Amino acid sequence: MYIIKNGEVHIGDGNIMSNTDILIENGKISEIGKNLNKNGAEIIDATGKEVFPGFIDTLSSIGCMGIPTSYRDNSEISSPLMPEMDVSYSIDPDEVNAQEFYKTGVTSIGASPDDTALIGGKIAVFKTGKAKFADRLLKKNTAMKCSFTTAPKNYYGGKNMQPMTKMGMADLLMNNFQRVKTAEEKDLSTKDKELKKLLDGEINPIIAANSKSEIDAVMEIYGKECKNITLSDPFEFDRCLDKLLEKKVSVIMGNFCSLSRKTRHNMKMEKLNDLIENGNLIALSNTCSGFSEGREVILWSAIDIYRAGVPAEEVIKMLTINPAKILGVADRIGSIEKGKDADIVIYSAHPVKTYNAHVEKVFINGEVIL
Amino acid sequence: MNSILIKKGNIYPMTDEEMFVGDILIENGKISKIAKNLDDKADEVINAEGLNVLPGLIDAHSHLGLFDFNNDKGNDDANEMTKENTPTMDARYSVDIDVPEFKSAYEHGITTLLLTPGSGNVICGLPFVAKTYGDNIFDMTVKNPCALKIAFGGNPKNTYGRRSQLPMTRMGVAHVLREKLREAKKYMEAKDNGENPAYDCELEAMLPAMRKEVPLKMHCTQYDMLTAIEIAKEFDLPFSLEHAWGATDYLDEIVESGCSICYGPIATYRSPGERRKIDVEAVKMLDDRGVNVAVITDSPIVTIESLYHHLGEAVREGLDINRGLRMITINPAKILGVEDRLGSLEVGKDADIAIFDGLVGLDTDAKVIHTIIDGKVVYSK
Repeated sequence: MYIIKNGEVHIGDGNIMSNTDILIENGKISEIGKNLNKNGAEIIDATGKEVFPGFIDTLSSIGCMGIPTSYRDNSEISSPLMPEMDVSYSIDPDEVNAQEFYKTGVTSIGASPDDTALIGGKIAVFKTGKAKFADRLLKKNTAMKCSFTTAPKNYYGGKNMQPMTKMGMADLLMNNFQRVKTAEEKDLSTKDKELKKLLDGEINPIIAANSKSEIDAVMEIYGKECKNITLSDPFEFDRCLDKLLEKKVSVIMGNFCSLSRKTRHNMKMEKLNDLIENGNLIALSNTCSGFSEGREVILWSAIDIYRAGVPAEEVIKMLTINPAKILGVADRIGSIEKGKDADIVIYSAHPVKTYNAHVEKVFINGEVIL
Repeated sequence: MNSILIKKGNIYPMTDEEMFVGDILIENGKISKIAKNLDDKADEVINAEGLNVLPGLIDAHSHLGLFDFNNDKGNDDANEMTKENTPTMDARYSVDIDVPEFKSAYEHGITTLLLTPGSGNVICGLPFVAKTYGDNIFDMTVKNPCALKIAFGGNPKNTYGRRSQLPMTRMGVAHVLREKLREAKKYMEAKDNGENPAYDCELEAMLPAMRKEVPLKMHCTQYDMLTAIEIAKEFDLPFSLEHAWGATDYLDEIVESGCSICYGPIATYRSPGERRKIDVEAVKMLDDRGVNVAVITDSPIVTIESLYHHLGEAVREGLDINRGLRMITINPAKILGVEDRLGSLEVGKDADIAIFDGLVGLDTDAKVIHTIIDGKVVYSK
């Protein structure tokens, strides 16, 4: 039992409560207010500190990258359509531990299949602090990872298999969607049933698409079939704004700090403000093309977006409530609210506004991790 | 050429002098005067009141234009992996200045790069120093060569190991390097003794390093740095350790060796082996003990403007920003051997100046208002 005292509390939804206390009991946030008291609670003084909900790395290959050998446990690419895969069986908790995610305030990741298959499988939300596996696995089957980047055609085309081209990718998707929609229930395979869930809106897609033409194609294919669409790594989003605004598409911006991605896609990060004003959700991640980099990247992305002119508290939402909503776990994490998991990070200063900000304490499930 | 007068800026000279509010006069591409108040007439006056005036920033380890990931296939002109030692490789011939990152560099106040071959071989080739603005890499060059690039560990051993060729192992890398340095030393001594040895282009290319005119630039991480230090000492050659992940485990050895450190890039995922320890806190610990440290990006592996983030992460780990600013200006200038022209704001030096709103490495929203290279305003916000 802890009381975090007198902090500058960022709720996660854009609001800030100054000089506010948080009571943590049984792994949950049990009260938020001024001058809280509770017998037996350990006091954590957060005077002058910035208190945030634990950050969420929305899409990650960490846990599946196969360290030290180079197998990929999130890349079951034996067929281009693998909706029945559940990534939670692939997470190596030691690999997650080795990243020390909590040192940048990241307390949960969206463990995800990579971008190689057209439909790679289902995402699971996993906590970064050491504990029993069951206590770390927050939720399975939160979203379906799909891809419309060059990765599928490069991989399968290289084996002289469909898809070898973008039209081959579209063809495989649309034909299978059509077949599943028109088939009788008794004729559906396990794979088909998972595809049907996607079309019926029982699970939402997160679709990787980098260039304008890829985004346009995704909006044409998935826009007709699915209600809630999230794009991952849509670096040329600014050139497709109308469609993204109209459909209120959510956006996960992965690692754009590596391998010329910013210049290659001529990224216009200030245009994220247009999406924000329209109510589209934007979230961040350390990963691009299924390759995850270190825990620092998510902060660097946040800082680059802030430097481009997006308000700091909007950037904080990209690290907290927005990914929780996109991953369908906002009832448990993503904001400092009564009843939610006590995943909380205390920073010495605002990490989006100054580099001179370090993590002083991290709680995951109400336990002090750092 | 136009003269420029910068007025009332917060001047960070990167000398022994601390920040002061003052003016800088630029004439003929050089800094001609610096003082608290200058009344000189100039063709152009920049009001820098409230802005921070720094020497143009320097990235001491970059592959811009040698690697290009701005298209699907990507391009590697950094690694001539046809044999384990390629000391003659002159990096200037691989640089494509049309990659968009050169513009990103000077728009972010980064005016000078050390451009180097990659780490696919044991002796990789010859790095050089260039400005980031211009239309011909040979004209942009400030110093060539400026080092002899050497690589330890996974890069060379994986290249040749896959081919079942020497070196397949770390001990193989050490052997290959030592043998070549011995040859080069013998060659140099023979020349110095007037013995006229048969011309050997590879050993010729190594002469500037063997004569200590340029340092060895040694890619290494973790315990490979002990091998690097041992071999450099054995041949009594000046050197810098590049990347240097895990340096906190070898502080005494680094300090004792007298080498420089080019630390970075960070932000890689952690895995056993070379990536097991990424310890940017080493930057402050080394600086405290008198080691000349630069922070580097390895661009375009990580974006060129991540130089800000790299410095920022060192600051997050407790580095004083005034020490940190030296690590992207005067410290790398010394490692590159161009401190007579670059790296600080002093009379007579090249007029390479970055004028910031906010303090880079501390304020996350610090932005360049003007970049000046060789006395020319090449970018204004």
